[in-house]
Parts: sequence; structure tokens; C-alpha cells
Amino acid sequence: MKMIKAIVRPEASDLVTEGLAEAGYFTMTKIQAFGRGKQKGITVGEMHYDELPKVMIMMVVEDADVDEVLKLIKYKAYTGNFGDGKVFVTPVEKAFTVRTGMMGL
Amino acid sequence: MKEIIAIIRPKKVGRTKDALSESGFPSFMAVAVFGRGHQRGIAAEVNCELPPELLSQGKSGGMKYIPKRMLTIVVPDADVDKVVETILSVNQTAQIGDGKIFVCPVDEALRVRTDEHGDKAIL
Repeated sequence: MKMIKAIVRPEASDLVTEGLAEAGYFTMTKIQAFGRGKQKGITVGEMHYDELPKVMIMMVVEDADVDEVLKLIKYKAYTGNFGDGKVFVTPVEKAFTVRTGMMGL
Repeated sequence: MKEIIAIIRPKKVGRTKDALSESGFPSFMAVAVFGRGHQRGIAAEVNCELPPELLSQGKSGGMKYIPKRMLTIVVPDADVDKVVETILSVNQTAQIGDGKIFVCPVDEALRVRTDEHGDKAIL
């Protein structure tokens, strides 16, 4: 299993989640976050914004589905401008469903 | 070291905290999150009655995202099973929406105050 953490624009988060749901990946967790990238935030006129609001979409999927999910996120969150976000994939060793206590997704 | 990410009902956080500190794991991080599971967020957990004309428009009484609390606990390898057992035993209500627990590997930890590394930093 792999955990996919996608940090995307807040306005793109619903696009991403709905696109993933259409493809059959309903399960996700949404976290409000603030951050900056290589461009060190954004400067609009005189104002410099150091940390920009983002949404972190966290989901755990089977290894075989990682590529498809990444492709969907890339397609849905893309605008071509700085600040579209980043996606990180990290390993998950075990997953439990609390209600049943069973292992697995 | 392993990172245990538990996504549970906000209502159960207090009792989970008590149970964990009784078993000797008082430290954790909590984040308010929104999410959905295999039921696509329309579980009866947060459901309301809708008039038939709205239901015919394809609207459902459920919510798209359900508020949850995400607890992150980093423990030594040997304690993973104990912590998972504790969280499971407190949070089981037999109803959909109890949450999920993920166990992920962690390479390194650092206690900022004392500059301790590894297992010593989290004990």
C-alpha cells in the first residue's frame, strides 16, 4: 500500500476529489494547510504572501493503483502556473478498519 | 520507529487520549480533517431527511465530507501492536464511520530541546 499526499490549490481540491471518485477512488482525507514552494510564496504589488493556503488530499491506495491516481491528480490539478502543488508517495505497512478490526483497505 | 495515523470520530478523541495515556503513550498530534470512506460520505452518521423533490434531483441527505480527527502517534516498532489494539478497542462502535488506522515507517526522529536522535527522541 502507498499513501499519496497531494498538496493542491484549494479551488482545485473539489475537482481532484470528484475526478478521483468518478474513477472509483472515493476514500480520501482532506486537510487544510499553508505552505510555500520554491518561489517563496507570492508577491502581488507591494504585498508579499509568504505562506499560501493549500489543501492536502491524503489517500491510501494499493500499489497497483498509484500510477492511475497520480495521473488523475496531475490532470485535474493542472493549471500550468506556479503553485499547482506537489504530490508525495510514501509507503504504508499496515492498514486497519476500526469498525471490524480487520487488516487491509 | 513507526508512525500510526488514526482517523477517528471527533467524539471519541477524549476517550482515545485517556486510553492511550493509560497504556503509556501520552504523546500524539491531532488535526481536524474532513474525509470520506467507501460509503462516499453518505453514511447515516450525518444524515437528514430530504423532501422527495430534492431526492429526485439526485441530491442525497448525506454530506460529501465527514469531519474526523486525525491522530498521529510515533512509537518504537515493538509497541505498534499495543497502540493499534488500544485505539481499536476504544473506537469500535460497530457502525460505519469508525475510521481507519495506517502504520507507516519513520526513518529518523529528533527532539529539538535536547538534540536526541532516534528511539530516544520519542520515549
